[in-house]
Amino acid sequence: MNVRPTVNLLCVLLPLMAAAACGGEPAAPKPRPAELEPLPDDHPSIEPLPDPELSGGHVGRAPRRITVAQLKSSIEVTTGRQWSKIDELAASLGRADYALVNAEATEPNLVFAKFLEDGAREVCLATADADLKESDASKRVLSPEVPADAKDLSKLDDASVRQNMVYLSTRFWGQPLDGGELDTWVSAYKNIATRAEAAKKKREAWGAICIALMTDPRFTTY
Amino acid sequence: MTEPFQLQRRHFLKAAAGFAGASMLGVTPFRALAQATTFAPADRCFVFIYFGGGWDVLLGLDPRDPTVFTPERVSETRILPGYSLLSTDASFPETTVRPTQRPGGPIPAMEFGPAIGRLADHYDKLAVVRGIHMKTVAHEVGFRYFLTGKEPIGNAARGSSTATEIVGQMRPTVPVPSIAYGIESYNDRYPGYANALRVSRANDLILTLSPSPTNIDSEIEQQLVDLRGKTITCESELYDTRGLVGQYRQARSQMGTVLGNQLHKQFQLDFENNPMKDAAIDLRNDQRAAIRAQYNLPATGGVNYDSAAGRAALIAIALKQGISQCVSMNLVGGLDTHFGTQVAHATNQRSGWNALADLVDDLRKSAHPSGGTFLDHTTMLAFSEFSRTPLINGSGGRDHHISSSALLIGAGIKHNLVFGRAGDINMAPGVVDRKTGQPDPKGVNILPEDVIATVLASADLDYAITRTSPLEGLLSG
Repeated sequence: MNVRPTVNLLCVLLPLMAAAACGGEPAAPKPRPAELEPLPDDHPSIEPLPDPELSGGHVGRAPRRITVAQLKSSIEVTTGRQWSKIDELAASLGRADYALVNAEATEPNLVFAKFLEDGAREVCLATADADLKESDASKRVLSPEVPADAKDLSKLDDASVRQNMVYLSTRFWGQPLDGGELDTWVSAYKNIATRAEAAKKKREAWGAICIALMTDPRFTTY
Repeated sequence: MTEPFQLQRRHFLKAAAGFAGASMLGVTPFRALAQATTFAPADRCFVFIYFGGGWDVLLGLDPRDPTVFTPERVSETRILPGYSLLSTDASFPETTVRPTQRPGGPIPAMEFGPAIGRLADHYDKLAVVRGIHMKTVAHEVGFRYFLTGKEPIGNAARGSSTATEIVGQMRPTVPVPSIAYGIESYNDRYPGYANALRVSRANDLILTLSPSPTNIDSEIEQQLVDLRGKTITCESELYDTRGLVGQYRQARSQMGTVLGNQLHKQFQLDFENNPMKDAAIDLRNDQRAAIRAQYNLPATGGVNYDSAAGRAALIAIALKQGISQCVSMNLVGGLDTHFGTQVAHATNQRSGWNALADLVDDLRKSAHPSGGTFLDHTTMLAFSEFSRTPLINGSGGRDHHISSSALLIGAGIKHNLVFGRAGDINMAPGVVDRKTGQPDPKGVNILPEDVIATVLASADLDYAITRTSPLEGLLSG
């Protein structure tokens, strides 16, 4: 069988195909506003969630406390640093060793509450300390929405504090503060910042808010 | 049940008085509340002692006479006490141990194995339950069965730990009602106050009770307390209909009480310098010296709580200082001896019995504020997940055996009593008359839930969760 004409044809076509693939920019899809696809006609009807009154007052699965591994990575993701004692205390926080203990304990008990308070203080104050030394506001972890040149943390304008608080709550809980609860947190920040400035403990302004966020049930349960 | 609850609320309010604005979400401004409250010991205390790994009852609670159960008869009895194998350590007798009659005490009604150590001296305050059918030879299943009095599903525990059940029913006024050290704890139906303070080592217990190593300004701390007290929204209430968040809030509230009262200091056995000859410091140092002497801990220097003796001392402090009502303790481990010598197992087991003996001795000579001794107000249960085979395996150790024993000590229990019996062939779980504990061909097996029901009934608590009745012959009342 004579294969030479086929080989010659390939020699011509392949460079042409390669040029076509590499040469032009691929056409980018046009952005369009998000919209829900309409349900097809044969889609089964949607059943509403059961009435909480008829389900023992609750709907959906029960909340759970995060495991030690989840806590460790949550702290790292939110603050960019690690709680130095977490591995040392892991067994009492509930981590299974699969030698003597083969089930992860996720009880939100006194030991968990106390150790988390200790860990939050260590990590949050260290993070706040580092933020104070950072001149580029966008690189700050706890106060990226606050003007970089703000000298007195108790005199920040209301809008900056609110914006930063929404940012932090979204960062820590995946859920922004709003409404009356946002007002409460903003007001608490102002009191804390005033005291922190007066006591010359600047790092405790946003540091204390970080502690409150990290020890809140929204951080420790899902 | 009404009065203890009122007391608890009153006590809680007293403890909470130092922090205006503190709420269920809050945390005490710790330094401000230091030394605010003193605690009275619980009127009724409980201790659950776990021997980890599966104990050899032939060496402890259910011995056999080696002159009767000889190697020559082993094919008939399937029991080999093996006491002669302890001959390499002269501190172990090579026969069963009959306790020495205490002055003015009853004639001992029981014998023990060679590893019983000093606990035999307290025969007049205890009852031995023998021939318990554990229904399992899996570690997790066995100890979870005994912790809860309910047979696990697979290896998952069912229901609450007995300590949780007790605290849930009694609602004691002490700041840390239940401590679980090196042992699991469950709570399936009580609010967070019944949860045990569960730690895996002594240092973590002390850290839990100690102030945070990172201080923040006390006024800012107060602001945080206030902030946490305001964060209950409708949405969060809906989220918490199953109570998990409520438990966490309760734990934070308990943390405030614990830290405000500097409970960690009660567990510190290091001596304080006292250059000014302060009488209070002298007294505390004397108490520390007495605890060290009682539990054979080093007279000077640091104390290792992570030994059997240290753990026993920790139990005594928790009960006598009014810190806890229930303490569940993995007192000693290293008993899962499939390989090795009988001496290794006997040595580990004896260290547990000796530590327990020191605790019993301490409680029986310490006056309780309500009258009598602490032992008159304390019920103790010592158990293991199962026992070890009556025959020695090819590796010189013993494997898992389905029949076990347990020990009950102190309040509400008949003393100097043996209840139940394991068979003389292969130490099979015995069938006994539930009222007398005597062997009865028409009787029934003793199960862990029977023992747990008895513990609950010893304090007139509701034992319905065990779905059985107490072993009446064991109850003193």
